Amino acid sequence: MTLGAVSGFTISNTESIPGRRIVEFYGVVTGNTVRAKHIGRDIMAGLKNVVGGELKGYTELLQDSREEATERMILQAQSMGANAVVNVRFATSSISQGAAELFAYGTAVRVE
Amino acid sequence: MKYVAKKPEDGINVSDTHPLVEAGTLVVGLSLIFLAIVVVLVFLVEIALYLVPVEKEVALFEDWLPEDLVTVAPNDERLGRTQLLVDRLATHWGDSPYSFRVEINDSSVANAMALPGGLIIVTTGLLDEVESENELAFVLGHELGHFRNRDHLRSLGRGIVLSLVIAVTTGRDVSNIGLNIADLALRGFSRRQEAAADEFGLELVYTNYGHVDEAWRLFERWDERDGESLGVASYLSTHPQADDRIENLERLAAEQGWPTAGRVTPLRW
Amino acid sequence: MEPGTFERLNLFFNIGLPVLALLLAYVAGSLLERRHFSSIRKREEEHFGFPVVTFDRMPPDWEAASSRLVSGSIVISLDYFKRVIAGLRAIVGGRVKTYEPLLERARREALLRMIEAARQDGYDGIYGVRLETSRLANASGDGKGTAGVEMLAFGTAVKFDTRFDSGNRF
Repeated sequence: MTLGAVSGFTISNTESIPGRRIVEFYGVVTGNTVRAKHIGRDIMAGLKNVVGGELKGYTELLQDSREEATERMILQAQSMGANAVVNVRFATSSISQGAAELFAYGTAVRVE
Repeated sequence: MKYVAKKPEDGINVSDTHPLVEAGTLVVGLSLIFLAIVVVLVFLVEIALYLVPVEKEVALFEDWLPEDLVTVAPNDERLGRTQLLVDRLATHWGDSPYSFRVEINDSSVANAMALPGGLIIVTTGLLDEVESENELAFVLGHELGHFRNRDHLRSLGRGIVLSLVIAVTTGRDVSNIGLNIADLALRGFSRRQEAAADEFGLELVYTNYGHVDEAWRLFERWDERDGESLGVASYLSTHPQADDRIENLERLAAEQGWPTAGRVTPLRW
Repeated sequence: MEPGTFERLNLFFNIGLPVLALLLAYVAGSLLERRHFSSIRKREEEHFGFPVVTFDRMPPDWEAASSRLVSGSIVISLDYFKRVIAGLRAIVGGRVKTYEPLLERARREALLRMIEAARQDGYDGIYGVRLETSRLANASGDGKGTAGVEMLAFGTAVKFDTRFDSGNRF
């Protein structure tokens, strides 16, 4: 699964992008989204929880949300005139019962 | 590699939906969903009622008593008299499949209940309030009306179903808002049931005494005591307002040509 | 059976009070949020040009005279109205829009506090910035409990060598 697949834009979780040189750096950019699962998913997950294993519904939900957070981070970077975000970090945290925040942040840079 | 001061655009991480719009959409949508659920549940309860015949109900609940019942002494005169009155009224309900049992609950709140298996519970509070046998007969007739329409099982079924819904939605906010809505909708149904039970009760009273004098005297007293009443409260109450009930009963008596004056039987305790 | 004062009290406590509380929370909550955002914008303007990056290593063109760990944090809570909406949203699922402004302002505030801590002591830039969110108190879905969220921003603040050395070079 590729995150933040935007044409002409690169994101990296390391400080450098192999084969490219960073010319300018602009500062921290963030992207976040808070999502809740619906009751149906809750009930299915509750059942699944008995036997263990992957909770597919949740996997998809969190993956979708992470994708959205990444998109928002890229939007912020683009609004600064950047064409890459480096040193990207992801975080997931439970904000309230049934709602989770997906958060992505990194440094907006311009690469050659 | 050099630093260039730049600022990201504001507001990318915040959706621009106004909180009030979000609130409106959610409240309206969820209300509709809940109403739909209630309608489906009420329908399911009706099916269940159809599937469980009275004989089965009687067999299941033959010796059942609610746990929190505070009974009076078994030789209490009021118990025997009330049981006799119920039996007499039941003879006018031609093919009653129940053999009714009367219990008195020692509680100051005036109330009467129809419970599964033909159990009728009246409170001491009610027995203190009634001033003639005719008044009591109407209240008991009303409960018999619930048995005839099987409202007692209906409300039990709905109660179970509602608590299931509560169990699923527990810990969330809906439990409150949604359940209030569901409850309101159910009260709408329940008031219609009350009116039907009133009509059956009045018919029994007429058949028994030959007139309907003092049948709704109890409600008149309550209505006078509680002169001013709130408009909305009437919709929120499970039973119709006293004055609505009186009006309904008076209209019925007039339609059927049942005399509203006659010899009133005093209480014998 | 008997309608009366009890019914009226019941009506007030079950419908009147919550609606009143919601209304109050909405008005006060929106006002506070707007004020917080305008304060954040103003301070961000003030600190515009102060470099803050997430790089693990110091940017090569910085020459550090000294460095220090700096942090900024805030614990913030959502108003009752928005919490109730979020609770409703949790039933149908989807984007919990009312939480977004809360997290946004908390994060920007934490970053600002970190920057302010660094600038107060004369630092010139921060690298290796990390952001963390944690749910502090237990906010149940029914709008009760405290919807407390802690935001923490921390990083390495650096004093640039060049600024102090320029005069002393041969």
